[in-house]
Amino acid sequence: MRTTLTLLFTKFIRWMLKRLGRGGSLPGSIALKLDPQFLKHFTYPNKVIMVTGTNGKTTTSNMIYETLAKSGLKVIGNRRGDNLKAGITTLVAANAGLNKRVKADAMVIEVDELNVPKVISDVKVDVFVINNFFRDQLDRAGEMETILRKLEAVLPDFTGTLVLNGDDPNVMRLALTAKQASIYTVGVARNAMSSNTSDEASEGKYCPVCDCALHYHFYQYSHIGKFYCPNHDFGDVTLQLEAAAVDFEKSCFEVAGVRYKAPQNALFSIYNCMAVLGCLDVLQIDRQYAAQVFETFALNDGRMEMFSLDGKDCLLNLVKNPTGANETMKYIQRDQEAKALVIVLNDNDQDGTDISWIWDAQFERLMSADVRTIICSGLRAYDLALRFQYGGFEGRLLVKPDMQEAVQELKKQPEHLYVIATYTALQPMRAVLRRNT
Amino acid sequence: MELSIIWMYHDLMDLYGDRGNIEVLKYRCKKRGIKLQVDTCGIGEEKDLSAYDILFIGGGADREQGLLYQDLLGRKQAIQKAMNAGTFILLICGGYQFFGQYYIDGDGRQIEGLGFFEYFTKAPDRARRCIGNIAVECSLDGESFLAVGFENHGGQTIGVQTPLGKVIKGHGNQFQSSWEGFYNGQVLGTYMHGPLLPKNPEIADLILRKGLYRRYGKVDLEPLDDALETKARNVMLARMQIQK
Repeated sequence: MRTTLTLLFTKFIRWMLKRLGRGGSLPGSIALKLDPQFLKHFTYPNKVIMVTGTNGKTTTSNMIYETLAKSGLKVIGNRRGDNLKAGITTLVAANAGLNKRVKADAMVIEVDELNVPKVISDVKVDVFVINNFFRDQLDRAGEMETILRKLEAVLPDFTGTLVLNGDDPNVMRLALTAKQASIYTVGVARNAMSSNTSDEASEGKYCPVCDCALHYHFYQYSHIGKFYCPNHDFGDVTLQLEAAAVDFEKSCFEVAGVRYKAPQNALFSIYNCMAVLGCLDVLQIDRQYAAQVFETFALNDGRMEMFSLDGKDCLLNLVKNPTGANETMKYIQRDQEAKALVIVLNDNDQDGTDISWIWDAQFERLMSADVRTIICSGLRAYDLALRFQYGGFEGRLLVKPDMQEAVQELKKQPEHLYVIATYTALQPMRAVLRRNT
Repeated sequence: MELSIIWMYHDLMDLYGDRGNIEVLKYRCKKRGIKLQVDTCGIGEEKDLSAYDILFIGGGADREQGLLYQDLLGRKQAIQKAMNAGTFILLICGGYQFFGQYYIDGDGRQIEGLGFFEYFTKAPDRARRCIGNIAVECSLDGESFLAVGFENHGGQTIGVQTPLGKVIKGHGNQFQSSWEGFYNGQVLGTYMHGPLLPKNPEIADLILRKGLYRRYGKVDLEPLDDALETKARNVMLARMQIQK
């Protein structure tokens, strides 16, 4: 009875907020205040897919959502990235009938790493996709070790299927504790971006079984790669699904002889695709639906989004942590022409209030002769400028904390234009860029 | 002039951008024509620590610290020798804790420290940490200034006789404590990440002067244009509502 009343009340709050043009996680927060056990009382669809990891959660879960929809299923999901327990609760309340049955064939939820234990204890999850674990906003998430331990504490009870990135030792470590789960591993074969050494900030360099330093046959990026422990079988992963024949000229790859297009021409994008394909295999849904989604998929929300500034192309991309920043910079540096950039660094809660990650990211990648101008912007613009000053950047270094002023300055530059922004700067920056077309 | 730094456990103790401190020292030496040599020393590596003017250890996660403390304890004599030879020592977070009596981690495990100083550190549990921006009023060798940084530590350091400075905003050595860090003229320990030195050029130059002292006696450093440093620091002081 309590749950039904809470459900009705939550639906009402959500309806009110929607009329006010708002939504998000507030109705769910209220429901959980009224009934902390709220999520336990529902009958869930027989396909519940949960996606977590440091990078690529939103993209991966959205691609799974679209693929399942394409295959003819009725799908619900937290597509806007409300990935805390409250956001999931709003989603469930909105889509449940008074019989407490969630009305859908499949539910795809992106869940924040630290919220996984709180969600998995209450919601029946069939497929759990884990992308990767990188050093992220450390002040909020705590050391990566803390996150992994929290997951290790709940995984022994998980009886569904784990779809894991077999090339990430931090992810594969979790398979050791999930004794009741089925494991399905995906990864990417050696390709033009692979290297024998790595100098990027990475976590999980040590074997979780014996603490020795992990060895690598090759690295893909950061600590992702073909790792192995010299003493144990940790890392002796036989991938169930592997991307081969990766072609960065044409932005495509092959799985079991079938060619797929990567939505973004970068390794991390192929890893996201592999997670989607792994998920489909587990659900026994034809991979061809995903192929169609990969062809046309675009988030258009600041992940490699193209704008026009006075008729000139300008590429906007979100960065959240060192690994994401490194991959974005590698992508930008494939353009060997002269460049000018705006980089916006904010330190609000959702960006991470600790900005020291900019020293772990390899901004040296931008300190080359073809980068002519860097305009630092955002709440911590001066900290960013110090990063470039002390890193030895020899081009023109400007500081314009105000985003509009930064873009005004960028427009004057004759070079190819790029904008990088942290999370809370992204939407304001999109608005600024749209105003300046 | 020449100067040398030994950066210990650079591959393990590199949390929260502490490596940026080395970049700052390099840059400020280069601007002044000081030839700076930076060497690293990992687990099991043989290095004569007393041959260096400055020794640096950054912070690391519990797991990494657990991996290296045996190696560090094995170097106690070598570090003592370096201190006797006048090497200046900069320690951030975990490095700072190691120089005390002992460290008890979030799981209750006790790790022996080098025991050079009286202080010791206890982490209450994994849930509580001192996290956030911090401002500290420093008075070092007669020079007074406000330092800013970002702290993120579970460990509560107790029994510091000679702190680095007075906490104006933030936690410091313990939850809501009055004092931050440790400074005795030769060893500077602090919980301030950020990293520490980019926004605190006074501390960077103090370290350089201390390092140069061993070879050249008292030297005056040519002033640099610290406009960006000052603005970056002022942004944070304004944020913390502190009058300059």
